[in-house]
Amino acid sequence: MHDKNVVRRRRAVLVLLVGLSIALLTVYFDEPGGGILHALQRGSQAVLGPIESGASRALKPIRDATGWIGDTFNAQDENDELRAEVARLRQQLAAGQTAQREADQLRALVDLPDERGYPTGVDPVTARVIAHSPTVWYSTLQIDKGSDDGLEADQPVVTGDGLIGKLTGVTGGTAEVTLITDADSAVSSQVVPSGTRGILMPTVGDPDDLLLDFLDNEGEVKEGATVVTSGSTSTEFESLFPRGVPIGEVSRVDPDERELYQRVHVKPFADLKRLDFVQVLTGDPPAEVAETDAVAVP
Amino acid sequence: MIVAPGTGVRMALILLIALVVQASGIAQVTVLGASPDLMPLVVAGVGFLAGSVPGAVTGFAAGIAIDLALGQTVGATSLVLTAVGYGCGRYRELRDPAHGLAPIAFAGVATAGYEVGMAAVSFMLGIEASVSVLVLREAIVTVLLNILLALPVFWVLRRVLRPSLVVDPLARGRGREQTRAAGPLGLRGLEV
Repeated sequence: MHDKNVVRRRRAVLVLLVGLSIALLTVYFDEPGGGILHALQRGSQAVLGPIESGASRALKPIRDATGWIGDTFNAQDENDELRAEVARLRQQLAAGQTAQREADQLRALVDLPDERGYPTGVDPVTARVIAHSPTVWYSTLQIDKGSDDGLEADQPVVTGDGLIGKLTGVTGGTAEVTLITDADSAVSSQVVPSGTRGILMPTVGDPDDLLLDFLDNEGEVKEGATVVTSGSTSTEFESLFPRGVPIGEVSRVDPDERELYQRVHVKPFADLKRLDFVQVLTGDPPAEVAETDAVAVP
Repeated sequence: MIVAPGTGVRMALILLIALVVQASGIAQVTVLGASPDLMPLVVAGVGFLAGSVPGAVTGFAAGIAIDLALGQTVGATSLVLTAVGYGCGRYRELRDPAHGLAPIAFAGVATAGYEVGMAAVSFMLGIEASVSVLVLREAIVTVLLNILLALPVFWVLRRVLRPSLVVDPLARGRGREQTRAAGPLGLRGLEV
């Protein structure tokens, strides 16, 4: 008799917890961003933020030590890659300086504002990464700045290497960054110097491989070409990202894939697995390029 | 169900510490492209030491904590971790493994189950991903890293939970007298 009760209660607990999980899943998907579960999520992030911030600082020496061990193993390969990249960048620098001189002269002729670095009106806010999502299925991280520092949802997030994502949730002292490798991410981008435009999508599970999809057929796309944000301001779907923020380089062009699916592979510049500090681009950059082709991009 | 305050507080503290250490430290340590994952390890440990119901409850709480703290789909991780905790606890109750190295096997199977479960739930939620070599490699490396961490994590869990344990499988494996007047569940103070 006692055993039967135990079995019944044990099963009841399991059914209750599984049912509760499924109910939460359903409610979470159905409710809007301001719903109770989303509010609870923001609240718990605000409460845990200071604890995670302290733990992040305390655990940094351990992270650095393990990172150093890994780096030592990879140093030789990385050295060879960097030498090849330096040679390539020298050539690009020479070409870039020539192009810059010509561009300056042309700007002066047509009286355009001189834009270098971030667009006018953008104010970068530096933040420390305090938590990472642990699975390949969710590519998010938490930072120690929030609405108190002027951050708002949908603002772009960058590192010294390039674009890494955008803000998707903001509390007073923390914010959630959804990386460009998250399944929900899509970035309006273009290949330079050809100017070919497309939408940059993730390959879930492989943070080193992004897909530049829906490429227009104009212009040639070569391996090694740089991919930057296009900053399009279509009348229907405006890009969140300012124009010209570097994202990565074209790592593979499969002729069949290019022909059939209009896409190429891109390797992001930023190491998304190891981020300690990021910058959030706050403020409203001025409109850059107006496009007529309406493509759904965030 | 009666939950003694001491038992509940101890389990809550374990989860909070594991979550913070995981999110702020371990998730950023990559070995061969993957990181260890403390949460399935902790849930498996509680299931192994305390039984199926504490395992399932801990798994549910750990999953909710992860989903809320890291901005993930609420309910997804709790669903998988509830199953992991319950499964580990049931296996312990049915087979009663007392070998000193049993935590290694539990850690490996629990982590593999968690990885497969998360993949299945993610696919059901519409997150499309090709089953690439990289995804498989990352899952396998995570399992191996968790196996390496199994003994110290289970040791810490056992130290913390020991005052509440009705039956300590590891101590019995070493021939010590441990079995007490057993309640239906694995933890004293957490009884039906």
